Amino acid sequence: MVRQSLLILLPMIAAFALSQRRRLAAIIGMGLLSFMLAGVYLLSHAPDVAITEVAIGAALVTFIYVLAIRKTGRLVVASDEVPGLLSREGEALIGLEYAILTGFARHLGLDLAVHLLPSAEVKATLLRGEADIGAGGIVGTDDERFLSTPGHLPTALFRLSSGGDIRAQPSLKKRQEGYFSDVLEAVRTGKRRAYTLDLARFVALSRLDLSDYTVTRLEGEPSYTFLVAPDKEALHHQFVSYLDRLRESKELARLISRYFP
Amino acid sequence: MRRVSIGIVLAAVLLVGCFCGILLVFFGHTGPVMDAAGRYASRAVAETGAVNLVSAIYLNYRLFDTLFEIFVFSVAVLGVRFYLVGRSEEEAVERVPESQVIRTSADLLFPLILLLGIYLALFGHLSPGGGFSGGVVAGSGLLLCAVALGTEAIARRFHETAFEQLEWIILLAILLLAVFPIVFGLIPLSDLLPHGRTGSLMSGGTILIYNLLIGLKVFIGTWVIIYYFLRHRGEV
Repeated sequence: MVRQSLLILLPMIAAFALSQRRRLAAIIGMGLLSFMLAGVYLLSHAPDVAITEVAIGAALVTFIYVLAIRKTGRLVVASDEVPGLLSREGEALIGLEYAILTGFARHLGLDLAVHLLPSAEVKATLLRGEADIGAGGIVGTDDERFLSTPGHLPTALFRLSSGGDIRAQPSLKKRQEGYFSDVLEAVRTGKRRAYTLDLARFVALSRLDLSDYTVTRLEGEPSYTFLVAPDKEALHHQFVSYLDRLRESKELARLISRYFP
Repeated sequence: MRRVSIGIVLAAVLLVGCFCGILLVFFGHTGPVMDAAGRYASRAVAETGAVNLVSAIYLNYRLFDTLFEIFVFSVAVLGVRFYLVGRSEEEAVERVPESQVIRTSADLLFPLILLLGIYLALFGHLSPGGGFSGGVVAGSGLLLCAVALGTEAIARRFHETAFEQLEWIILLAILLLAVFPIVFGLIPLSDLLPHGRTGSLMSGGTILIYNLLIGLKVFIGTWVIIYYFLRHRGEV
């Protein structure tokens, strides 16, 4: 009876392993299949084969597959932290760009890994080939070194400048990493005199005392984009078509209205 | 061009020579064509001294097949080495220490797993198991340690180039042991040792020795695979 139910379960687990989009889930399915198979061997009075099947199939092979997909199974995103687009909320990440990237990673069957970096380092990380996609409030550039996607959210650019002295604002808390910490640090110590900020960062910064600065809105109709590492043309193509589909199915508009009501 | 040491050339020649010798002797040898399965089931214990029929078959009657299976495993290990050695090593990443739970359970479990592996290899002719599964089980124990303590920590204590070479020396020893009966005028692969009292540890003739050699060889091979994967694809 047990054997029959195991034999019925076997093809189902095999189908489960085959149909998984996420590679890690597929590998776990295969390990499970090995265990079941070992059970079948054991019930068929072949304990030798069962022991070997468990040791090789369930332990060693599973482990080697996990190591093999370690690099190829991930979509690595380098991102600045920008409220509304991609930011921390406790342990989790939230935001419009995070939602888009999560959906894209699921679409590809990859695990999403987000590295939060100061905005200045995002591009350098992409160029070094340590990340696949750059995100976090990147305003459309004509930087030839990257493959960029069509804008997914319109924004505006603001210039903060100051003629005279700037008071340092030591009351601001220092943050280790993440959302435009470099700009925040500059405002905190009062060292730099002028910044160009996009809408999301400007809104986040406007809770500070900016009376020392004059604010001007820059011309043009910029929008936020993603950057794809220069050598990942296939990924870029997939990402662009994924974004197009999001836009056509009104899913993008729905996401935007959710995060920016 | 790199100079190849004489030892490697000699070993290679010896390996090929052993195999050619086995093939030559068996060329005109047609085994009994009768009902093999029935004979194995009814007479294996008396003929080989091994209570576990499975090991009696694959380490005595069908040792010839097993030799090739050992070769398959060796080639697999060689392939992993060959294709991973050329890949760049992962830059040293700051290791996130594993949790206390994992480290403690690795400390507790490793001796037990190792013991289980040794038991499987040592008692392969009496109970289910055998050199191959014993070696892999013990190797998985090392894997657990590598996950918990870090590969480098294990490798520093453990990994030597000589260790990798030992795998091939054992393969050579297995082949020599298979050819050795020729000296006594017997056909290769035949059993020389006394069968001992049925059911005791010292029974089954050469099966015990084969199991131990294969167990050690597979253990080393498993560790080599794990080591190269961890070193060139990064820590888990």
